[in-house]
Amino acid sequence: MVSILLLSACGGSGDEQPTPTPEPPVVTYPDFTDITASGGDTTTYDAGNSGHGFSTPAPNLSEGDLALHLEGDANFEISFTTAPNIEHPELDGLGPVFNNADCNSCHQRDGRNSTPFLSADQTRVKLGSDAGIFLRISKAADVECTQGNAANNYCAPIPVPDFGGQLFHRGVLKARADWQENAFGGQADVYLSYERTTVTYDDGTSVELKKPIFEVENPYDAPGETKQSTNITSNLLQDDVLMGWRNGMPVFGLGLLEAIPEAAILALADADDSNGDGISGRPNWVFDAIKDRNGDDNPVSLGRFGWKANTPSVRVQSLGALRGDIGITNPLFPDESVAGTSLHDSYLTRTGFVDTGEDENGEPEVDQALSDAVVFYAETLAVPARRNVDDSDVREGARLFASINCSGCHTPSFTTKTSGDIGGSDIIDSLKGQVIYPFTDMLLHDMGDDLADGRPDFLANGNEWRTRPLWGLGLTQTVNPQAGFLHDGRAATVEEAILWHGGEAQNSQEAFMALSKTERDQLVSFLMSL
Amino acid sequence: MNFKYTAIALTLMGTLTACGGSGSDDSSTPDPVVPETGFSFAATEMVTNLTNDVIVAGYADLAAQGDALLLATQALVNSTSQADLTAAQEAWKAARKPWEQGESHIFGPVDSLSIDPHLDSWPLNTTDLQTQLDNNTGFDAETIKSWNDDVQGFHTMEYLLFGDGVADNNKSISDLTTAEREYVIALAEVFRDYAKQLDDAWQISHNPQDANALPYADLLTSPGSDNNTVYSSELAVIEELINGMIGIVDEVGNGKIADPFGDSLANADTSKVESQYSWNSLTDFADNIQGVRNVYHGEFTGSADKQGIIDFVAAADSTLSVRISSEIDDAILKIQAIAGNDDMPFRQAILDEAGRTRVEIAVTALTTLQTSLESDVIPLLSEWNPQ
Repeated sequence: MVSILLLSACGGSGDEQPTPTPEPPVVTYPDFTDITASGGDTTTYDAGNSGHGFSTPAPNLSEGDLALHLEGDANFEISFTTAPNIEHPELDGLGPVFNNADCNSCHQRDGRNSTPFLSADQTRVKLGSDAGIFLRISKAADVECTQGNAANNYCAPIPVPDFGGQLFHRGVLKARADWQENAFGGQADVYLSYERTTVTYDDGTSVELKKPIFEVENPYDAPGETKQSTNITSNLLQDDVLMGWRNGMPVFGLGLLEAIPEAAILALADADDSNGDGISGRPNWVFDAIKDRNGDDNPVSLGRFGWKANTPSVRVQSLGALRGDIGITNPLFPDESVAGTSLHDSYLTRTGFVDTGEDENGEPEVDQALSDAVVFYAETLAVPARRNVDDSDVREGARLFASINCSGCHTPSFTTKTSGDIGGSDIIDSLKGQVIYPFTDMLLHDMGDDLADGRPDFLANGNEWRTRPLWGLGLTQTVNPQAGFLHDGRAATVEEAILWHGGEAQNSQEAFMALSKTERDQLVSFLMSL
Repeated sequence: MNFKYTAIALTLMGTLTACGGSGSDDSSTPDPVVPETGFSFAATEMVTNLTNDVIVAGYADLAAQGDALLLATQALVNSTSQADLTAAQEAWKAARKPWEQGESHIFGPVDSLSIDPHLDSWPLNTTDLQTQLDNNTGFDAETIKSWNDDVQGFHTMEYLLFGDGVADNNKSISDLTTAEREYVIALAEVFRDYAKQLDDAWQISHNPQDANALPYADLLTSPGSDNNTVYSSELAVIEELINGMIGIVDEVGNGKIADPFGDSLANADTSKVESQYSWNSLTDFADNIQGVRNVYHGEFTGSADKQGIIDFVAAADSTLSVRISSEIDDAILKIQAIAGNDDMPFRQAILDEAGRTRVEIAVTALTTLQTSLESDVIPLLSEWNPQ
């Protein structure tokens, strides 16, 4: 539009004969270039530039739905406490071991958590309440699990004996038997340091990358032991224990992702790379606690959430985190995740059975109403509108995004379904039939050895990760200036995140590195507009 | 929508100007008539002033009060003087003031560095606190930093300095145990360190891992610059500031006051009252809205007039700008009036019929203010033509 105005306004202005102007080359921009409504009718414009960009209810909620959303919002910020809490029994049940005491700590302002930092005089830092990151842990399997069934627990990760499937680095005061020396300690202490490398472009520009190195020490079953100890006795420090780091993710737009028709996702799968483009997306098929509760003979669903698409729905993800990350049992997950471990048994005995995963009435620590509201909240947060779509650099960046095939995995658009269910309940009206632009294919991809955690999760192998949605990407550090990108927060910028891409994304990464500095900046400008 | 329409119109105007002089009769060609939409306001001075004179100055004050609080608590170590305890209580209240006023702009490092939960976690965990007091001596700040947030920060110090607040807020120095003295001194040191870290994040580097990272203040005052991944435009900064004001008005009216107030006297719950041990709740609430006033006017009360959000609003609607100012002042007065003639603390007022009436009047004033900010001020963002 602006170009046309320029040419019209300036043409024929003098007496001399107009010089024929060569036709400018025709530039075709992808369909998504000018889109602002990333979440369809759930898109927010009022707060879409500020730190509130991820925290706004979908604007198309009915009055009743908005009330439920706001109830969930309040619950999302509850800071749970040690049991018993005489004044507020509805808030107690924390842990006894946990990663954080409330949802907000790992999803700050509904976005990413802060990446733990080392001050100038530190070589490593012990993770505490600041860290919205935790370890998934499991035992290595003897053989690769490729077809899930009841006998192999649907290829679920194998728990570490006496620990489970998630490492809890924090605890209530008396969680550990040695609590007087390790007050508020969890199953083990976790330390973070960084390994730094430099990537240099052909034009001489360089970027420093930092890879997080995590060390686990002082496990509760062998206090003081480290990986360097002789005669290691701890179950956690055995060589066949696999560990994978997980950052908290943004929680907006999740209901829309769950409302993408399964067939639309599976149509993008190309496990054997039959089209020869070097990209071979695979679905993850995972255990579904809701189907299991409902007596389904084959309680397996398409994995959609989590860094390896290891959970099928917002409901399973949210209530699993409530029980797992915070230690708050709920109707879907009524047992403590550490139930049956010697840590839990010892804790119960030492404290007179004050926290058994039940409230004073023998029910889970939070009830169905609170659970439903929290899930609804995560399903109905608005998607922030895109910004600066008229900017010429942003438009050119959109073209480059497509031309170097970032869109090969970051699929721009879907239309959500108009009927059916999400998480076992009827789909919410506001989510129906929306044309959305999440920029993800929801599938697993090998991202190369540098990003690999080496830990299988259902059908995802140790190199595979689910394609991250890119909507809201440019607001990440507006919402939380200390937020990092990728599964462990290692990338401080979008550019660093691109440079970490390998495996199936290697071609696109190399194409990015071959761009000029101006073009690289344009591509980043497009990503920051999302 | 108005903003986008105007931007295109301005582009057209610029295009024609750039081509001026190309024709034979340009001097007689009138400027095109462009329909005016929205309002114009040059925001740079306002943003710079609010950043430096309100936000940064407020956190610098908090850091200074942290130093003073540590000194005041250290004086308690072997003291038998009630005056020393009173001085420590006053130092706690003095530190509380810039913190509560700062809640009107609770974004950036206070959030991302987890300083908010470290300093102001609520409710505290009295069970774990007592266990630690019974089982430890010689508390040190670095160890306490590794403990859970619900046994450190403002409210733990408050509990130790003022007592449980049920019958009064006048703890006797003779009731302050040796362990409590050691613990509160260590907590004050923790507080001092975090307040300093917050001040540094605004003035030196917003990322403690990266000395080359910009001060957070610079991120607000240089939106859209190449290395600013936080704020893309002045619009984003102003949106942040206004939403910050709305956030605390909402929290005071619908959280801090409404939660303990309950839907009836029978359902009032004093255990939910913040700052209940010191009986400082009403001062907290008033300071929260005073913080809104600081951002709105662009200066602390009594300072020279500088640009604030009021000037942005006035550029669009001078009547509205004055009305908002009145509504802020009214909300502060109505909160302060909850105390009544007998200076009733908030935790007693919600259990008193007349007190509850005064609380309802204050909540109405806060609701009025919140509605105006949401319905009348936020829409101005889309009508603004930056200059």
